[in-house]
Amino acid sequence: MPAPPPYFSQPLDRRSSPWLWVAFLLCAITAAAFFFVPAFIIRPFGHQAPRALLAAMAFRQRAPMPTLVAAVACFLLTLVLWRTASRWGKTLLGFALIIVTFSAVMARLNYFEWMFHPIPDAQFMAQSESKLDAKEMIMAVRIGDNDRAYPISEMAYHHVLNDVIDGVPIAVTY
Amino acid sequence: MNGRALHFYLAGINNQNFLMRDKETGSWWQQITGKAIYGPLQGAVLKLVLSDELTFGQWRTESPSGELLAPVAKYTKEYESDWEPKVAKMPVVISFPGTELKSRDIVIGLTIDGGDRAYPWEAFAKQSPVVDRVNGTPLLLVLGPDGKSFRVFLSRIDGHDAEFFLQADAKDWILVDATTASQWNFQGCATSGPAQGKCLARIPALKDYWFDWRNYHPDTTIYKH
Repeated sequence: MPAPPPYFSQPLDRRSSPWLWVAFLLCAITAAAFFFVPAFIIRPFGHQAPRALLAAMAFRQRAPMPTLVAAVACFLLTLVLWRTASRWGKTLLGFALIIVTFSAVMARLNYFEWMFHPIPDAQFMAQSESKLDAKEMIMAVRIGDNDRAYPISEMAYHHVLNDVIDGVPIAVTY
Repeated sequence: MNGRALHFYLAGINNQNFLMRDKETGSWWQQITGKAIYGPLQGAVLKLVLSDELTFGQWRTESPSGELLAPVAKYTKEYESDWEPKVAKMPVVISFPGTELKSRDIVIGLTIDGGDRAYPWEAFAKQSPVVDRVNGTPLLLVLGPDGKSFRVFLSRIDGHDAEFFLQADAKDWILVDATTASQWNFQGCATSGPAQGKCLARIPALKDYWFDWRNYHPDTTIYKH
């Protein structure tokens, strides 16, 4: 058998450039930051300082695009880094990809509505059909000759309702 | 907003007052003020629609043909009619020490002529009807016949400041004004006497926790009597 050509016998450069790792970490941190920073700031039972809130809204507003771009970049870098990565390196890559994917997905979902479901298609009923107790509180609105009541027990759960009374669009909130 | 209907969804929380965003522009709106605090519509303010917090019983007598939001079958288990004591025990994330009110004391908050005032619910309920002035404007705050509903009116009849009191010996809930001795109902309309047929102007007011009202109305005064 002839000897293999020299370039096969040469050991391959087993390590990818450390700069690729730096790039990977940067894009992983970017993706995570765009989801986790606003999620942490805008958390229930947490105090929101005005500047932190502003930063949170700015991050959340912009999050869909940067999290997607960063996630794609992380996946591409992983393709390059995976073959030569050590066991630890692979663990890091895998773990980071999970966080990055999670961030890109969560940046597109409104998890606040998982806690308090909206009413997509509000139905109304006559007073005689209601099982509400006379002492229960409601919010009442009159527009033109139209009277509508929104039981507080319902609104305290849904929080926001988009309604139209007599052609006037209103947002009912509690 | 500017002739365009916006649709809102719950999007976050700001010191226990929620934030909503509109589907059309993605702007962020503060619940209590109706103001866009971030996004393309930042600075815009939604027009407040006058609303009431009444008992179902009171509303039924006033608006017999009115319709009610139906419960959503899927979520009826989540609705709680006794949520108030539970929420009252929840922690607060901001507080304003140095005032005589506790964070979760309930107040009626109102803004008139640029002046904000909070009426502690307990004092109001004991004293109702309350006649007060904010920046010179005479106000009338009344607790309803059910002891739970409330309304706020401009305390003026035909441009003249008026005083009101509850008719003590009456079986029914009747408000009487000191000037014309006309009888008024809880909707602020005179049902008999010289003023019959007239109605007082309504003033929007919000039943709120003290900490929340104070947070968004830092210059608010507190009613004392």
